[in-house]
Amino acid sequence: MPKRDGARPGADAGLAGFGRYAGPATLILSSLADGPKHGYALTKDVEEFAGVRLAPGTLYEALARLESQGMIEALEAEDRRRPYRLTAAGATALQAHLDAQRRVTETGLRRLKANWGTV
Amino acid sequence: MRLLRWYPKAWRNRYGEEFAEFLIADIEERPQSAERTLDVARAGLLARLAVAGLAEPHVAWQPDPGRRVQVSLGMLCGALTACLALAAAMWSQLAIAREWTLPAPATPPTTRAMLVMSAAVLAFLVLIVLAVAPVGYAIARNRNIRLLGPLLVLAAAVSLLAFGGHHFLYQWPGSGGHGEDGTLFPVVPAGIQAFAWSLTYWFSVHWFWLSAGLGGWEVAWITASPLALAAAAAAAATLVRRADLSPRLLAYETRLGAAACAVMGVFLGGCGYWVYVGRPPGLAHAGQIDIAAAILLALALAAAYQAQRTALRGLHLVRG
Repeated sequence: MPKRDGARPGADAGLAGFGRYAGPATLILSSLADGPKHGYALTKDVEEFAGVRLAPGTLYEALARLESQGMIEALEAEDRRRPYRLTAAGATALQAHLDAQRRVTETGLRRLKANWGTV
Repeated sequence: MRLLRWYPKAWRNRYGEEFAEFLIADIEERPQSAERTLDVARAGLLARLAVAGLAEPHVAWQPDPGRRVQVSLGMLCGALTACLALAAAMWSQLAIAREWTLPAPATPPTTRAMLVMSAAVLAFLVLIVLAVAPVGYAIARNRNIRLLGPLLVLAAAVSLLAFGGHHFLYQWPGSGGHGEDGTLFPVVPAGIQAFAWSLTYWFSVHWFWLSAGLGGWEVAWITASPLALAAAAAAAATLVRRADLSPRLLAYETRLGAAACAVMGVFLGGCGYWVYVGRPPGLAHAGQIDIAAAILLALALAAAYQAQRTALRGLHLVRG
């Protein structure tokens, strides 16, 4: 279980302010929820569980925003590769975001089943 | 690694090594990828905009939020100076052309445009005074040696502009002053028109320069005045970036910046009316150079607006 510390006081608890980076940020936080990872390991993990390949520029833009919001923190570099770790603020934000996504998913699936019988 | 060059130095200092490692691994897996190149170029250019104070005040690799606001305000200062220079060039041309055509039959579109543009320029000058006074006071209290260089450059550039502008005030064919005998009806005092025009000869008399030939001093002035203007803008922006300004003053300047953008938008509206709707014949006719100036003014205003928005977002961070 990763240590939950390093949360910046007053950090944004949500991903709403991330705009077009909300998608990559969610994928990154979901990946880091499993433990610290460096950039390349992150993209491979995301590709595996989401089928999405994060491009290098996009990945580091999202990492910089997450770090500035205190949702992740950088650890000591290992052989020029720097791992990132989820913070308590990041876990809270991810939980809130995924809960909202789940409500949307459940509502959509329920309505599809009721009206289209596709589920 | 060439791809890293898209990013500014501050970003490379923070992420350069790990990003290079990432790219090496990615390139091993996908040797050729236009998507990767485009994505890195886009992200790198955005990072450069952030360094210039035009985007993203909230990324981890930039220094403290207060300084980021000052960088944005410095960019705002530079962009608004460019707006003012272009506005002065167009306004003084139209003012003098209109004066020369009076008391010929009235040209209502030109007069309406002139009034809107004059009111906007006046309001802009008032905003400059309101903005410069507290910053000047703060700089005087700072007594920071790093401010001395830009202060000297600013003083030299402004002195050159004031001296040159005054020297060429009435020494140019068609410049202001002819309304002083009372036979004409200038919207604003002829001396002010002439001063604004003499400051912007580099813009307004390019055709004259090419077609008629000018003396050595005139060519020197046309060459030196835009450089002096650029130096003044750069020095002022540097002062805003380097001075120790309180969060309260930063908020005040950011609000003034919003007002200045709005005022310049009004000027652009009047200018657009003149260029696209009025199209008066004769001296006050808007030519291609005026259309080009209006487009440049719109671009400078867009940069100023973006810098103001970035400063505002940065202020929210400063306040927590």
